[in-house]
Amino acid sequence: MSGIWIVIEARDGRVSRISWEAVSAGQKLAALTNQDFNAVVIGAGTEGLAAEVIAKALGKIVRIEHPRLAAYTPDGFTLALQQFIENERPAQVVFPHTYQVRDYAPKLAARFGQALIGDVTAISEGPVFTRQLMQGRLNGSYRHSGDGPCFVSVQAGAFRADAVQSGAATVTVFTPTIEAAQIRTRHSECFRGAAQTVDLASAQLIVGVGRGIRDPANIPLAQELATALGAELGASRPICDAGWLPIERQIGSSGQTIAPKLYLALGISGAIQHMVGIKGSQCIAAVNKDPDAPIFEAADYGIVGDLMEVIPALTEAVKTAKQ
Amino acid sequence: MLLFTATLAEPRLFSLAEKLLLVVLVAASATGFWLRFRVVLGKILQSKPDVSFHLFPIGKRIWEFVCEVLFHAKVIRQRPLPGLAHAFVFWGFCAFVLVTLNHFSVGFGVGFLDPTGRFGRFYFDLAAVFAVACSASILGLFVRRFLIRPEWLGEQLSYQSGVIAFLIFLLMVTYLASFFVAEADPAARVLWWVHTLALLAFLPIIPHTKHLHLVLSPATVFLSRGSFSRIPPLAGDEDFGLIDGTDLTRLVSLQAYSCVECGRCTEHCPAAATGKLLNPKEIILGLRGFLNDLGPTSEEPLLGKYNPPQAPFQCTTCGACEFQCPVGIEHLPILVGLRRGAVNTGTWQDDYGSKLFLALERGSNAHGLATSERDKFIEKVGLPIFDGTQEYCLWLGCMGGYDPKGREIITDFARIMNYLGTSYGVLRKEKCCGDPVRRLGNDLVFQQLAEANLQALAQTKTRKIVSICPHCVRTIQEDWREFGAPPTVEHHSEFLARHADQLPRPSTISATNSESFVAGHDFSRAATAPNSPGALAPAAETIVYHDPCYLGRYRNVYDQPRALVNLAGELVETPRNHERSFCCGAGGGLVFLGEETGERIGKVRADELVATGAKTVATACPFCNSIFRDALAESGDAAPQLLDIAQLTARRLPKIERTES
Amino acid sequence: MKIIVAIKQVPERDAQMRINAAGKWIEESGLQFALNESDAYALEEALQLKEKHGGEVIVLTAGPERVGPTIREALAKGADRAIHIDCNDLGARDALGVARLLAEAVKPESPDLILTGLQSDDLGQGQTGVILAELLGLPHASLILHVDKTDAGLTVKRELEEGWFQTIDLPTPAVLTIQSGGSKLRYATLMGIKRAKTKELHTVAAAELTAPAVILERIALPQKQKPTQILSGTPKEVAAALVEKLKFEARVL
Repeated sequence: MSGIWIVIEARDGRVSRISWEAVSAGQKLAALTNQDFNAVVIGAGTEGLAAEVIAKALGKIVRIEHPRLAAYTPDGFTLALQQFIENERPAQVVFPHTYQVRDYAPKLAARFGQALIGDVTAISEGPVFTRQLMQGRLNGSYRHSGDGPCFVSVQAGAFRADAVQSGAATVTVFTPTIEAAQIRTRHSECFRGAAQTVDLASAQLIVGVGRGIRDPANIPLAQELATALGAELGASRPICDAGWLPIERQIGSSGQTIAPKLYLALGISGAIQHMVGIKGSQCIAAVNKDPDAPIFEAADYGIVGDLMEVIPALTEAVKTAKQ
Repeated sequence: MLLFTATLAEPRLFSLAEKLLLVVLVAASATGFWLRFRVVLGKILQSKPDVSFHLFPIGKRIWEFVCEVLFHAKVIRQRPLPGLAHAFVFWGFCAFVLVTLNHFSVGFGVGFLDPTGRFGRFYFDLAAVFAVACSASILGLFVRRFLIRPEWLGEQLSYQSGVIAFLIFLLMVTYLASFFVAEADPAARVLWWVHTLALLAFLPIIPHTKHLHLVLSPATVFLSRGSFSRIPPLAGDEDFGLIDGTDLTRLVSLQAYSCVECGRCTEHCPAAATGKLLNPKEIILGLRGFLNDLGPTSEEPLLGKYNPPQAPFQCTTCGACEFQCPVGIEHLPILVGLRRGAVNTGTWQDDYGSKLFLALERGSNAHGLATSERDKFIEKVGLPIFDGTQEYCLWLGCMGGYDPKGREIITDFARIMNYLGTSYGVLRKEKCCGDPVRRLGNDLVFQQLAEANLQALAQTKTRKIVSICPHCVRTIQEDWREFGAPPTVEHHSEFLARHADQLPRPSTISATNSESFVAGHDFSRAATAPNSPGALAPAAETIVYHDPCYLGRYRNVYDQPRALVNLAGELVETPRNHERSFCCGAGGGLVFLGEETGERIGKVRADELVATGAKTVATACPFCNSIFRDALAESGDAAPQLLDIAQLTARRLPKIERTES
Repeated sequence: MKIIVAIKQVPERDAQMRINAAGKWIEESGLQFALNESDAYALEEALQLKEKHGGEVIVLTAGPERVGPTIREALAKGADRAIHIDCNDLGARDALGVARLLAEAVKPESPDLILTGLQSDDLGQGQTGVILAELLGLPHASLILHVDKTDAGLTVKRELEEGWFQTIDLPTPAVLTIQSGGSKLRYATLMGIKRAKTKELHTVAAAELTAPAVILERIALPQKQKPTQILSGTPKEVAAALVEKLKFEARVL
């Protein structure tokens, strides 16, 4: 068995960024193990995808094509890749760690008597694969043992997509055999959650307003920043108590509990009733006049300054960055 | 005055017919009384026995009886004028015992008190004095109920009360009138019969109305559970709280039938005062209605038709109701019992409630925050760890360990202890004391927390605990007893008051040396704090003190915090202070349950504190502090400062370099 | 419906953890353990299905003796009976090995539905349910928020990245891995705990350990957590610096 194959995933008809990161990981692994590395794209009508990948320093690109792969199903993808792997006999197969991969890669690996080494954050000499344990509090070093391909998936952001070198690859087509009866699940079109006026609980970006805003007339400033960010507007309790924002926007122990990627706290001191509502945030940035405000303990990034000056500056900076 | 010279006219020579009539009437009246009273007694005795009730020690019970029943202490102290009026009616009844016995004996021709004899004259004159007081009182009470109509007596006019008032008045008036007629006068006989009929009408009315308290309340006061807000342990594997009629115990039934509908409980209830469904009087009367209609063997739910299911969950367990009740009804075990029934069976479905229970099922604190947050705080401030060798264990609690303001209070208190040279340490691991789940009726989680904590304390050989939170103090000292022997615990106000003479006096503060004192950091106005490090509010500042429910009514600690406030400035009292303190609204687990409906209890109290005009609000409980912090924030910069008594005390300590590791 | 819920007992979420002497796992003495979070949601989903459609909910877990209280907790919340695969070397098995243990216990039960949590709070692999489906030859779906029973089988709501969702139709028997947050969890009640005492708990021995394909060699603390970065400068400067950090360092923009 030899060779590394990277499974590329599409998003809106294009190669997803995390797939490029997987290619980058594969590149690193290839260097460590002194092997070729190649890529597959899988689906129906994959010429476009292949065309994107062709200008990279990969050995081969294979388009796994079948009409029954037009929409993702775990049965379909597993079957197709199983047949491909039985054919190619790679040493390692690298995936981007996406929801989709989590749905079929363990199944695929089990077919070969293997288990997926998933959500890898680093690859080092060995090869040794590092992944996080205990919700990120510990790192574990994993090794593959025995015969059979090693299946690995890489965490988003762990490898740099722009580290993929340019080159030229060849493209071939592989057609698996898939019977209709073998596809047991039927997947609908993707849809968004029910439209609500305010859904802070599922918002990914939230700007929170606290007493530091001082005047209801200043709320539009915060709203402008939120709009620029594409974020929802929330508030700490005193703001809603005073009626400056509606109660649905209250974040805290007696309001909404949020878990966004980014929570930007403007003029919020960090009282416990508010903190329990935001502790699920991935990244917290705070702006406050008081350098001793407790929110700075919990924040990843902090700005000590006058809200009236910092907020407009932030809005400008965000707008610039988004261009 | 004629009264002093007049004697009571006792008619003589009742005919046989009259005597027979009297026999029949007495028998009818007694039967009327007994037929109903028997039913009530039956309902009480058919109720489940109270497993955890102990008659001994009896001394306390006798004392309570003497104070509350005989001397009407609480009745008078809490509502002076109406209370005194009621006392006179009661004392009148007591004084009339011999009079009444004699009255009936006279009817059978065997009167034993001679109105012309020395003792007879003295006694009847004495009774007359009481009769005057009683008539005036009952008249006054009648006017109050029917003309003035205070709101806590309820919307509907109570005709029973009217009838009883009339009968009592009639009894007194006919008695007094007998002084003004001659023995042989037919009027004397008429008066005698009217008095008799009034009495015989009164007797059967008693068990049919709230006047049952005449018979029951002395027993109710005597048979109390033994201490304030005493939540009984669940009795066996099938007991989950007050769910249906079969869960009502004898004490609960006795108390339900003793209610006089005075409304003192509702008058002082913070939930009732802010438009919530909860009305303590209605809770008790709802149970009485249940007992009357369905009885203690019914499996119908207690909550539903007779009381709204949400009402018990609006209770802050402030205890004002139980404290005020003149007939000894213990509302808190009943309210918690109703909550237990809903929570222990999973019937109560509340998002915030579930969140709280799940947080304590899986974690260590009521906020659901990571334990590492507490560890970080301990490390940052450099609090010593308790290892069994120090004298005190400083209990952080969920607020002291995780809330920024609570942490400030701990930090300042620790500074004071350092200054005093007290040896103390904080536990490496602490779980929530369980107060919120205990008051909400979740016995499963409470037991787990109490047992885990008791085990940890035994392992670390903790003997004495000092805490900044009255809820922790109460729960550790009283509620944990069900599962083991807790160490002695006191509130930091008690500790500080004991060491008051070792603390710096206010006179040592002056304009020149004020820079050497570090002020307590006041987050309530972090942006524009006048007491920024280095500055100090003048020693003559006015400080209004708010009595926390769990320190005041629950623990009777009123003077020690005040002593500390007096050392820091000029103490100002709120209109409702000491045992009448108005709750901040956080208790009973409510602070974890999301927004209240109607007016905010905390806001009402904060407004009252602000209205005193004091420059500073002093608290002794981190929950009160947290509630007022939000409520005062609405007044913006005009709000008074908000400081715990530890912070007020620490202000005067000499400045030390803070070493933050 | 006969539903099996596979649950795992994991160290309490914010327990302070130390690496053991061998450097291969955490020091377990002194730790508190609890039911894995997404398994609690799987159990909740199963209980709701039972309440709606009748049937039986069986909890299945592999682990050492200390998993007892966690099983009782699941029974207290409403599961009807439990199967405990007594296994002291769970850490020496990879995801495939663990799934094989579970499959052995599931096969004789022939359930209509098998639910697992999405992933465990300790290892976080998220594979056991998917592999279990493969070993049993059953269709599956993962990251499920909601399950509905239909005449044809099941209709489930699956979570996708970035706020998108999808419904999937599949026949029973099937395996689903349940994502946290789909329903409101019920709390364990005193009544539930008392009733759990009389429910059946069946212990079976674990199958022999076979050589795993994936080995966890050692564990280590990650680099020190970055402290709060306070940015300084003029408003314009700090604004630009923050946006830069959010975009490239935190990668949230």
